[in-house]
Amino acid sequence: MKKSYLTLLLLPGLVFLAAFMVIPILLTVGSTFYHEGRFTVEGYLYFFKDPYFLKILWTTLRVSLVTTAICMLLGFPTAYFISQQSPRKKALLLALAIFPLLTSSVVRSFSWTIILGKKGLLNNMLLSVGLIQEPLNILYTPTAMMIGLIHLFLPLIIITLVGVMENIDTDLVKAAESLGANRFAAFCRVVIPLSVPGLIIGGILVFVGSLTAYTTPALLGGKQQVISTFLYQNAITLNDWYLASVVATIMMVITFVIIMIMNMLANKLNPKG
Amino acid sequence: MAMLTLENIAVSYDQQYILKDFNLSVEKGSLISLLGPSGCGKTTTLRLIAGFLDAKEGKFALNGKDYTRVPVNKRNFGFVFQSYALFPHLSVYDNVAFGLRLRKVNKADVDRRVRRMLDIVNLSGFEQRFPKELSGGQRQRVAIARALVIEPDLLLFDEPLSNLDANLRVNMRVEIRRIQQELGITTVYVSHDQEECFSISDQVAVMNKGIIEQLDKPSTIFKYPKTEFVARFIGFNNFITFDSRQENGNVIELQTKGRTFRALHGEGRGEQKGLKGAIRPDDLKLGTQEELGVDFNLLPGKVKVSTYLGRSYQYVIETELGEFTVNKEMEQPYISGQEVLVHFPIEKLIVVE
Repeated sequence: MKKSYLTLLLLPGLVFLAAFMVIPILLTVGSTFYHEGRFTVEGYLYFFKDPYFLKILWTTLRVSLVTTAICMLLGFPTAYFISQQSPRKKALLLALAIFPLLTSSVVRSFSWTIILGKKGLLNNMLLSVGLIQEPLNILYTPTAMMIGLIHLFLPLIIITLVGVMENIDTDLVKAAESLGANRFAAFCRVVIPLSVPGLIIGGILVFVGSLTAYTTPALLGGKQQVISTFLYQNAITLNDWYLASVVATIMMVITFVIIMIMNMLANKLNPKG
Repeated sequence: MAMLTLENIAVSYDQQYILKDFNLSVEKGSLISLLGPSGCGKTTTLRLIAGFLDAKEGKFALNGKDYTRVPVNKRNFGFVFQSYALFPHLSVYDNVAFGLRLRKVNKADVDRRVRRMLDIVNLSGFEQRFPKELSGGQRQRVAIARALVIEPDLLLFDEPLSNLDANLRVNMRVEIRRIQQELGITTVYVSHDQEECFSISDQVAVMNKGIIEQLDKPSTIFKYPKTEFVARFIGFNNFITFDSRQENGNVIELQTKGRTFRALHGEGRGEQKGLKGAIRPDDLKLGTQEELGVDFNLLPGKVKVSTYLGRSYQYVIETELGEFTVNKEMEQPYISGQEVLVHFPIEKLIVVE
């Protein structure tokens, strides 16, 4: 009685998801296999045979993976530092860390164009110091995309990691030290293994976010396309909804596969029991 | 020879001293308990010895070596935490092997020592379990094995039994005592449970507000507390404040309000300094002069409250020297308001500061 009543509470959400997500996704995926009145995999063959498309796919994966890796590397020590502070300091530092998420991604990306451009802040500074003779070409490259994406997603991984790290009993680190571990050994043998769940979840968030991000790559990538901008171009500019659906399906499958792999990894590395 | 010595140790947090001019020495191979209410500084003392806290002043030495500035990981002390602090991501075997692997002990020796230690704590066969799959008592024993396997110079326990249920607590403290004596390892044990401390220790230090009120054998503390604080802590609920005292051979005579009480001196009773008499509710006697058969250490009073405790009755007796709590077994209980004589047996009345 009580249980069925509780299940009822799910209904509005379920209806919404079914109507606006599950059915559209099925329709999209279905449409890629049923084109012009017959079953076909033509769209996929067309995509995977074209080196230009493959290059876009490869660039997207590369940008996402590098972004995720750098976010992990930058986020991990930062998160550990924050997790060790007093509650008041922790709240303040977390608020600061989250701050980039509160600004619009359009504004943020444009700020980066000012900084990274040929005559931007960065180049001016490096030129005036004499570190470089010619302005660097950063803007409108994959590097610019990565910088923008790292700026965007670093807070996500920090929040996730702080959540996990502050639950690591400080006695565990003390126990390791009393058994002969120096700070570094205790960090490697206790803190890192116990932070793996946070690292994996944070990593998934960053990777999927980078893979599907549109604004940042569109504004900072210039002519360099990623899957999401390519998808947009096909659907809106070229009006090729068939190819756009194929690309969307590929994107979904990749995301799905990556999440599965990371979950498997998490199960392997997670604390047992 | 004293093996562990703390000299004039001071520890402070935010300008506030938790320990000041703190001194302690422990004999080699013995088990000493630090006993006291929360906030008395016992855990601080233990963490200082372990190296988790720095002394602001003073010196801590072990076997003549100065450890005051030695970092935790170079001390080679075994620490057993209240929370056990087992590594949740490692199996029982790997938890115990943790310290040995850090010491780069070769694989065969690690295996031999881990298995021997698990055997000592009766956990053979549990090697591949993870901490979450163990009961509280088993986790406790893993924690002890992990601390012991490194052959520490000193073993430290921080309220190790407070998370266990009552039965297990009794079993575990016997176990801890057995292992400690088997290995002959000097041990400092912190607890707020007096029964636990008394049953397990060679010596007990009762602490209050950062100082040791008394350091003695458990039986001495139990029978002859030195100070009012210690007396209260171990169940002396009745106190009389005296105005003066004279010593007469092995008898101490104490006076207040024209009444004289006698207490004994000597025979392991310690110094018996001070002007306060203390006695347990179980040791006071009630009755008429004929029933009691003595003519001194008597005080007339009136039954104020009578409570049935099952095995005995508990009375609160109102007298001109204040109220006294008395436990007495009897068929026919006193009723409230009844006049009665309170007897303070000379061998049970002790004098504290």
